[in-house]
Amino acid sequence: MKYKTQKIAIAYFAVALALFTVQVTLGLILGWIYVSPNFLSEILPFNIGRMLHTNSLVVWLLLGFFGAAYYLVPEESEREIHSTKLAYLQLIILVVGTAGVVVTYLFNLFDGNFLLGNEGREFIEQPRWVKAGIVVAALIFLYNISLTVLAGKKTAITNILLLGLWLLSLLFLFAFYNPANLALDKQYWWFIVHLWVEATWELVMASILAFLMLKLTGVDREVIEKWLYVIVATALFSGILGTGHHYYWIGTPGYWQWIGSIFSTLEIVPFFGMMAFAFVMVWKGRRDHPNKAAMLWALGCATLAFFGAGVWGFLHTLHGVNYYTHGTQITAAHGHLAFFGAYVSLNLAIISYAMPILRGRDPYNQVLNMASFWLMSGGMVFMTFTLTFAGTVQTHLQRVNGQAYMDVQDQLWIFYAMRFGSGVAVVLGALLFIYAMAFPRREVIEPGPAVAAE
Amino acid sequence: MTVTTAWALLIALSAASTLLAASGLQGAAFTVAVLVLAGWKSRLILGRYLGLAVAPVWQRGFDWILALVLILFAVLALAA
Amino acid sequence: MTAPTPTRPQDQPSVLDSLPGELMMWVLILSELAVFGAGLAAFLAVRITDPAGFAEAQTHLHRTGAGINTVVLVTSGWLAALAVQAAEAGRKVRLRGLLALASALGVVFLVLKGSEYADLARAGIGFETHAFFTFSYLLTGFHAAHVIAGILLLGLVGALATPRAVETGAAFWHMVDLVWVLLFPVVYLL
Repeated sequence: MKYKTQKIAIAYFAVALALFTVQVTLGLILGWIYVSPNFLSEILPFNIGRMLHTNSLVVWLLLGFFGAAYYLVPEESEREIHSTKLAYLQLIILVVGTAGVVVTYLFNLFDGNFLLGNEGREFIEQPRWVKAGIVVAALIFLYNISLTVLAGKKTAITNILLLGLWLLSLLFLFAFYNPANLALDKQYWWFIVHLWVEATWELVMASILAFLMLKLTGVDREVIEKWLYVIVATALFSGILGTGHHYYWIGTPGYWQWIGSIFSTLEIVPFFGMMAFAFVMVWKGRRDHPNKAAMLWALGCATLAFFGAGVWGFLHTLHGVNYYTHGTQITAAHGHLAFFGAYVSLNLAIISYAMPILRGRDPYNQVLNMASFWLMSGGMVFMTFTLTFAGTVQTHLQRVNGQAYMDVQDQLWIFYAMRFGSGVAVVLGALLFIYAMAFPRREVIEPGPAVAAE
Repeated sequence: MTVTTAWALLIALSAASTLLAASGLQGAAFTVAVLVLAGWKSRLILGRYLGLAVAPVWQRGFDWILALVLILFAVLALAA
Repeated sequence: MTAPTPTRPQDQPSVLDSLPGELMMWVLILSELAVFGAGLAAFLAVRITDPAGFAEAQTHLHRTGAGINTVVLVTSGWLAALAVQAAEAGRKVRLRGLLALASALGVVFLVLKGSEYADLARAGIGFETHAFFTFSYLLTGFHAAHVIAGILLLGLVGALATPRAVETGAAFWHMVDLVWVLLFPVVYLL
C-alpha cells in the first residue's frame, strides 16, 4: 500500500461484504419460497423480500465501487484522497439511509408521508429523505474523488472511472421525478436502472478491470488504455439507445421495438471486448503476479459477464422473442448471471486484489478464496441453467399454450428445487469468500521443491 | 487514384443508379445492379475518402463485410 | 528467476497501426455500419411480409430529391477530403473554405430531406401509418441527425484547423456519406 488514505477502502469493502451476506441470505429465503410458497408469507411477503434482495445487491455493489475508487484513485493519481473525514461521513450517510429504507419498508412506517413514507415505486421506493441522503453522499464522494484526481496525475483509468461515477450519480436524479402517467413513469425509471447497468456501470467495470490488468499482468499502460477507450465507446454507443429494449410493452411508440432490438443486440460487443481484453492481457503479460485469486476473479468476471449479460441478454432482447419471454424465468436467469458475472465478480476481484495489500498480508496466494470462486460461480451457472429451462417451459406453457400462471408454476417445481440447491452453493461460497478475506493471518502455500526425473 | 477522380467516379455511379431506376427495369436484374452500384460507391468512399486504400488488410476486411451485407440485402430483397 | 525474453507479442507492430486516421472514429464507423446494416436488413425482412404495401408506400417518398441528395453528399465528401489535404499542407484558409462548402452542401441535403418530411406530414403520414414509414422515418431520421452532428463537427474541426482534427471530422462526414449510399438504394429504389 503506497498511500495511507487507501485504507478507507477497507471500511467500504467490509460494509459491502456485510450487505452481500444479507443479499444472498435473502436470496436463499426467496429461493425457498419458490419451492414452498407459504414460507414466511405473513412476516416477509415475497415482494418485500425481493425488494431487499435486489436493493441490497445494488447498494453493496455501489459501496464496492466507492471502495474501489478510494483504493485505486490514490495509486493512479499519485495523491492521498482529498479528505478522509468526508469519505467516512459519506459511508455513514449511506449506511443510515440503507437501514432507514429497510426499516421503513419492512414495517411500512409513515405510509403516505411525503418525506418519510416509502414512494411505492419498485426499486426506487426509498423514502424521499433517503433519496436526498443518497444525493448528498454522492456529491460528497464526487467532490472528494474529483478534487483528488484534479490535483494529481490524470490517467485514462481515472478519467473513465470518474465519467462513469458522475453520470451514474446524475442519472439517479430521475428517482425524484415521478410523472402521473404510468408509461412515462416507467420510461424515466429505466433511465436509472438500465443506464446504470448497461452504460455507466460498464464504464466503472471497464476501468476497474483495466486497473487490475495493469497491476496483475504488467502490460504497458498504453496498450491497456487503447482497449479501455474502445470498450467504453462501444458500451455507450450500444447501451444508451439499448434502453429501448425496456420500452417494447410499456405504452411507448412502436418504433422503440426496432431501436431497442438493434442497439441492445450490439450491447454484446463491449462485453465481448472486455472478455477479449482480459484474456489478451494475460496472454501478453510479462508479470507472474502472486495474487492468483484476484486474477481468477478478474478473468471469471469478464467471462461470466459476457455470457450472463451478453449472451443471456441477447437470448431474449429481440422484441419478437421478448413478446413471449417477457417477465418469465428467462429474465431471472439473465438477471442472476449478468449481475453476478459483471458486477459481483468485479467487486470480488478488486476486493481480492486490494484486501491482502491493505491488511499487510502480501504475498498471499489465497487458496480458500479460489475455492469460493468455483463454489459461487459453479452455483450461479447451475442456477442460470435451471432458471433458463424453467423459463423455456414456462414460456411455452403460459405464453404459447395459454395456461394459467399458477398452474404453470406448479409444473416448474423441480427447477425451483434445483435452483434452491445451487443457491445453497452460492451462499456457502459467499461465506467462504468473506472468511478468506477476513480471518486467515497467513496462508502461503509454497510449491514443493521440483524433483528432476531420474 | 486522387480523391477528385474518386469523386467523378462516384458521380458517374450515382447517375447510373438514377438511370437504372428511370429505365423501368425491374426484378432480380434491377435489384442486383442497384446493390452492386451501392457496393462500388461504398468501396470508393472507404478506399479513397477514408484512405483505406493505403491499408490493404483493412480494405480487404471491409470488402468482405460489404459483400456479405449486400448479399444479405439481395437475398432479402429477392425473397419479397 | 528466468530472464525476461527479449521479444514478446506486445513489442510487435500492431495491425491497428496501419489503420489511417483516428482509431476511435473507425470504431464508430463500424458501429454505425452495424446499426444501419441491421436496420436495413430488418426493413427488407419485414418487406417480405407485404411487398405491395411497401411498394405503394415508397411512391410517397421523393425519389428524385433523394437521388440529388446522393450527388450532394458525395460532392460534400470530396470537399472534405480536399480539406484534409489542405490541412496536411498547412493551408488554413483553404481548408476552412472547403469545410464551409462541405457544410453548406450538408445544409442543402437537410433542406431537400426536410421538404420530403414536410410533404409526408402534409399527407398525414407518420411513424405508425405503415411499417414502411416506421423504418423510413427511423433510418433516414437517424441519418439526418448524423448530418446535423456532422455539420457541427466540421465547424468545430475547422476552428481547430489541425491536420489530425480535420482528418477526424472528415472521417465522420465520410461515414455519413457511406451510410447514405447504402441506405438510398434500399429505401428509395428497391
